[in-house]
Amino acid sequence: MCDTLGVNVPPQLDTLIEIELPAGDAVAVHRRRFVGEVGPHVVLVAGVRGDTPEGTRVLYTVGRHLESVADRIVGTIDLYPCVNPLAAHLGARNWPGLDVDLNRRFPGRADGHAPDRVAAALVEAVRTADQVVELRGGHPSFRQAPHARVAASSPLAAERAAQANVRALWKIEASPTPGTLESVLPDLIGLEGGAGNRLTDGVGLELGDGVLNLLAVMGVIPESDLPFHWAAIQRPLVVSDAEVHDVRTGRGGLFLPVLACWAEVREGDVLGEVIEPISGVCLEAVRAPVAGRVLALREEPVVYPGNLVVRLAAAAT
Amino acid sequence: MTFFQLESPYRGAYALHRLTFGAGDPVVTLVAGVHGNEVNGTYALNLLAGVLRLQRPRGTVHLLPCVNLFGAEEGRKRWPFGDRDLNLSFPGHPEGSPVERVADAVMRASEGRLCVDVQTGSSVVHEVPHVRAPLSGAAVELGRAAGLPVLWRRPSESFDEGLVGAWRAAGRTALVVRGGRGGALDLDDAKVLARGLVRLLVEAGHLQTPEPPAAGVVTTDVCDYRCELGGFFVPEVRPGDRVVAGQVLGSLRAPVGGGALESLVAGAAGVVLAVRVYPVVHARELVVRVAQSTS
Repeated sequence: MCDTLGVNVPPQLDTLIEIELPAGDAVAVHRRRFVGEVGPHVVLVAGVRGDTPEGTRVLYTVGRHLESVADRIVGTIDLYPCVNPLAAHLGARNWPGLDVDLNRRFPGRADGHAPDRVAAALVEAVRTADQVVELRGGHPSFRQAPHARVAASSPLAAERAAQANVRALWKIEASPTPGTLESVLPDLIGLEGGAGNRLTDGVGLELGDGVLNLLAVMGVIPESDLPFHWAAIQRPLVVSDAEVHDVRTGRGGLFLPVLACWAEVREGDVLGEVIEPISGVCLEAVRAPVAGRVLALREEPVVYPGNLVVRLAAAAT
Repeated sequence: MTFFQLESPYRGAYALHRLTFGAGDPVVTLVAGVHGNEVNGTYALNLLAGVLRLQRPRGTVHLLPCVNLFGAEEGRKRWPFGDRDLNLSFPGHPEGSPVERVADAVMRASEGRLCVDVQTGSSVVHEVPHVRAPLSGAAVELGRAAGLPVLWRRPSESFDEGLVGAWRAAGRTALVVRGGRGGALDLDDAKVLARGLVRLLVEAGHLQTPEPPAAGVVTTDVCDYRCELGGFFVPEVRPGDRVVAGQVLGSLRAPVGGGALESLVAGAAGVVLAVRVYPVVHARELVVRVAQSTS
């Protein structure tokens, strides 16, 4: 909570880049920098897409804690609470006007249009950091359990991500999509959960605690100052690509789920039904191909054949 | 004929239509409307269909005039359900998401060694009808034969993505024919595109009655002009205009009051390939593109 309106000015707020707008005003991408004794450089990035307020909330809570331990920080922590502010003010996924997905523009171009310039400025600013963590939101059509994504080729990132209080850790073997932040920062830790364009009870708290614990594990903030006991940190279900199963519909209609995110299912369990919305006829019972946990669940009910409705994490802990 | 269908909730199924003219080899496929608002490509293929109905082609010509029918219905670039860019879903997958299934169907419908993607510019930029082809190979000669105002030869990595990238990965000779602006039917551009496609089919051996030959600019040297500031861009040139070095291409003005902010001047002679038509621009956005060198 704000102590008093207007007086909690964040420390060391500076401007990564300012983009002038046709109407004559400007929009800026800001950075909050916390500097302590010599130590690791950790970067926390949120809001690459404009419909991911959960990440911005997480960095708000993390920033509040860092303010309280500012004199005991070892290293440098950079917070980028919202990289895509123009989209965020509309609640839109893409950079408005140009309709460009910023997360397909990295590493960007310093002489390009606005999103390319933002991408280039961010990459330039974070490229040499010891660890970059990106807070993401899910697609607005889905609800996701808090989880981490790292490249399988980056064992150190995986080791750190396992300390981030997430329910699942997905070690991704597939090559990153070109233009994404992880495509230029292969050791990036992606933290995501909840739903796009919404705040989800519990998710912000879990991820916020996870980021703080990660900073403590890296020695950047003192463990004794954490607002929780280390033993409260969850140990994730660790999965590889082969253990993540996308369940798709075979029919078009309304998908009605019968379970919640992170529910435990057995092979063959019904995950939901696709009904014909007018006649009410059940077209398909969507079943679990394997036993596991529901990592993501479709909340937007209208589906076509082939739409992803459930993502299952199948490995044992 | 309906090549592929996808069940749709609340309405009739999505259908991918393919028109086929002639039979046997050689085979060529021309596709338009992967982006729903690229209606000039759709109309150009429909004009071409009129020619093919009158002239029996040698071999087989497949036309897919409007892939993203649902997007076209709403004047949207993307597949409206889920707001997906169909062109980023190639080569697709028969058991994937809806757009991946459509993309897979387009790939299966694309028969023959030669494939042409007929595109339209974005909704904010008006482009002169032109061909985009790799630096070398059969596509360049076919592009040259199309005789459109500009043939832009580009490095092969420019063709790695989308439908053209998927065709190339599958070993096809692929090129882009493009012109007009998204979301608006430019009759003159569509006719020029259609004539270029007829010439291309003559060069590929499918048609025998050539359109009158046309000479265009063949270049690898395309200059993008961008405003340093944001504002209200007023062009002084139109697509297809020939410009000389030092000629004013347009000016940037204040959106309120119209005060002059910046003037854009051609650095070299050439043909105007694209002009921004939606005037409110952000800093460093493309406003004019000029094809510079000639051959």
